[in-house]
Amino acid sequence: MSYRRASLDQAARIMRRGVRLSAAGLIALAGVYVLALGYTPIEARQGLAQKIFYLHVPAAWSALLAFSLVGLSGGLYLWLQDPRLDRFAAASAEVGVAFSAIMLTTGPIWAKPIWGTWWTWDARLTLTLFLFFLFIGYLALRAAVHDPAERARFSAVVGILGLLLVPFIHLSVYLFRTLHPQPIVLKPSAPSLPPEMLRTLLVSSLVFTLLYVGFVTARYGIALAEETREDEADAG
Amino acid sequence: MLAEPPRNGEYLIAAYTVTTLILLGYWTRLWRRARGISKERLR
Repeated sequence: MSYRRASLDQAARIMRRGVRLSAAGLIALAGVYVLALGYTPIEARQGLAQKIFYLHVPAAWSALLAFSLVGLSGGLYLWLQDPRLDRFAAASAEVGVAFSAIMLTTGPIWAKPIWGTWWTWDARLTLTLFLFFLFIGYLALRAAVHDPAERARFSAVVGILGLLLVPFIHLSVYLFRTLHPQPIVLKPSAPSLPPEMLRTLLVSSLVFTLLYVGFVTARYGIALAEETREDEADAG
Repeated sequence: MLAEPPRNGEYLIAAYTVTTLILLGYWTRLWRRARGISKERLR
């Protein structure tokens, strides 16, 4: 069996696993909708719009997890020079952009009925938007640089810059005056949520994490297949 | 007595629709690319 054939077979196995995992995640997401809309109580002051919380917060969690892992694997790539780390970083960045698109659309949709405005240029929102554009730039950079080693090195540096922003975004609600609420789960004291709401939030966060793993696995497999094709084109 | 919660279900529907569209759209894109590569592998 040729090297190309073996490599494409491996890529296909990884892609299939990723597509199946993310399909399972999408089915589980339907369960989250049932839980959020049918099981959790309607919040007295915010009404039905409060239920956007069960998508907005897990999407934010997944996006920040994705971008943190891009930075960490970028740092490890600069140290170990392992192309698998760069491939993983690229996959995680693309998936992170998809999750942050959810975070940045559900946020304003929730803000409008509660704050009376779609958007405000405060620290949390502005930094989150900046992080989103940073990773759009990361993907554009990867598309623009053709030498694989150079592309991996440059994008690792951008990924590390993104990682540095993540804790700052989390702490921005403490450091600056902002309309955005402070964390109610990831904070030093116990979560301040009724049990039904907390349970639904945790289930939704698990489902979004499963979607993250599935998407990244599929995207990694696709990148591996495309690299094999490029290697063959370069050699032939 | 507690006041009625505000009626703002349209925002809930908009957010759930957008989330579903983004996730389903991204999954479909990955699935189509993976299917294309698998077909090419069999050639």
